[in-house]
Amino acid sequence: MINQFKNYFQSKIEITDEQFDSISSTLKVKKFDKNEILQYKGDMLKYGFFVGKGLLRSYSIDTKGKEHILQFAPENWFIADRNQMHEEPSDFFIEAIETTECVIFPDNFMSEASRKVPCLLALNVNMLHNSIRFMQKRINMLLSATAEDRYLDFIKLYPSLTLRVPQWMIASYLGITPESLSRVRKELANKHFRPS
Amino acid sequence: METKQISKILKAPAPHMVGDDFRVHNFFPKGYKIDMNPFFLMDYGSKIEFSARKEPRGVGVHPHRGFETVTIAYHGAVAHHDSAGNSGVIYSGDVQWMTAASGILHKEYHEEAYSLAGGPFQMIQLWVNLPAKDKMSKPKYQAIKQADMASFNLPENGGKIEIIAGNYQNIQGNASTFTPIELYNARLNKGGKADFNFSANFNTGFIVIEGNIQINNTEIVSADNFIYFKNEGTEISIKALENSVVLILSGEPINEPITQYGPFLMNTEEEINEAISDYNQGKFGYLEE
Repeated sequence: MINQFKNYFQSKIEITDEQFDSISSTLKVKKFDKNEILQYKGDMLKYGFFVGKGLLRSYSIDTKGKEHILQFAPENWFIADRNQMHEEPSDFFIEAIETTECVIFPDNFMSEASRKVPCLLALNVNMLHNSIRFMQKRINMLLSATAEDRYLDFIKLYPSLTLRVPQWMIASYLGITPESLSRVRKELANKHFRPS
Repeated sequence: METKQISKILKAPAPHMVGDDFRVHNFFPKGYKIDMNPFFLMDYGSKIEFSARKEPRGVGVHPHRGFETVTIAYHGAVAHHDSAGNSGVIYSGDVQWMTAASGILHKEYHEEAYSLAGGPFQMIQLWVNLPAKDKMSKPKYQAIKQADMASFNLPENGGKIEIIAGNYQNIQGNASTFTPIELYNARLNKGGKADFNFSANFNTGFIVIEGNIQINNTEIVSADNFIYFKNEGTEISIKALENSVVLILSGEPINEPITQYGPFLMNTEEEINEAISDYNQGKFGYLEE
């Protein structure tokens, strides 16, 4: 699992095995059961997760008890609550949708690692920019896009998740009702299904 | 003629749930690493007593591409619906041979009346691979009722062999297949005997559904066990030590690369990605949950 984490870094930047070894002592590997909650709202976890195998989601629960999914994290995705960086309790839950193996890294991992291996700084900045870009797109989708456009964007970002998570979770992520998602899928099928 | 020897006798692996309460033992490919190509998967729902329930248990809408699902019912009843508008019920003794091929969405649930009454349930689902040239062929169904099934009566009131596919004693099975496959239900009375002859290179296995049988006059095998044969020899004999039911599988391997992702069985990674994309874009059609 640590190797997969290393491979992830090596696919992004030039970092030798020795350099990686010098920063990996604070990493831990952990396996979570399906439906296990890794983080509760109000927790002050001082670490984040890199998914090696499996699938996580972060979500909040509103005052009516409805869940709102912020993010899915399949293989090679990171998921972490940023509140922890500011000594604030978490606003979200993180749960394993499937049995999941993760690399757990302390919240200061990237900054500490960048000190030892300077080229990681550029990667860290790049990853943060990417994350902001992703959030901007997501906010714009939620504010202005039709249900169909949100779904089309979703299947581009997470192609295989339609086979791994129930419809209501996709609807929750898209900020639409499960009925709207069914309608979108039905309309797409009407456009594209050619029974032979 | 040389006897086809047993390679190993395999107990049913621990069960897992498919969908809502479909409790199955996967003999392969997860349970045991045995080569049963062209059979890619065997989920065995061992006999279980389901309580009556208004909301039928089952597996919701899901796609398939690149292979065939073969459902063989021993107890209970399963209703199915698909995105091409087909539907039907598989009752005890029946077989449904569904060629998903280029792609279909379907769902499978306990049939309403069975669910309301509850009762024993026992089924097998096989995934039969398709050769590359047929993977994108037109989806189709072969619904085989037990009453219509080709069968051979064994001598001395030994029972009968129902020929689902292939050929036994010059009797042709009901199902048409894309590659050579022999699939029979042997329903034997106590003391009943049957002989089989399969090419040495055919991957061959028997699963005892009910009762107790002796194989090749040596090993005795009871219900819920799978007998995996070696790829040598051709002759197999069985004898029922009590009234028994045995599912007999033998097939010519398809020697092509396989890439699986969930419900898709293709030859390459690109074809898998294409299947996922086609599914997401509605090219498999639509089916209400």
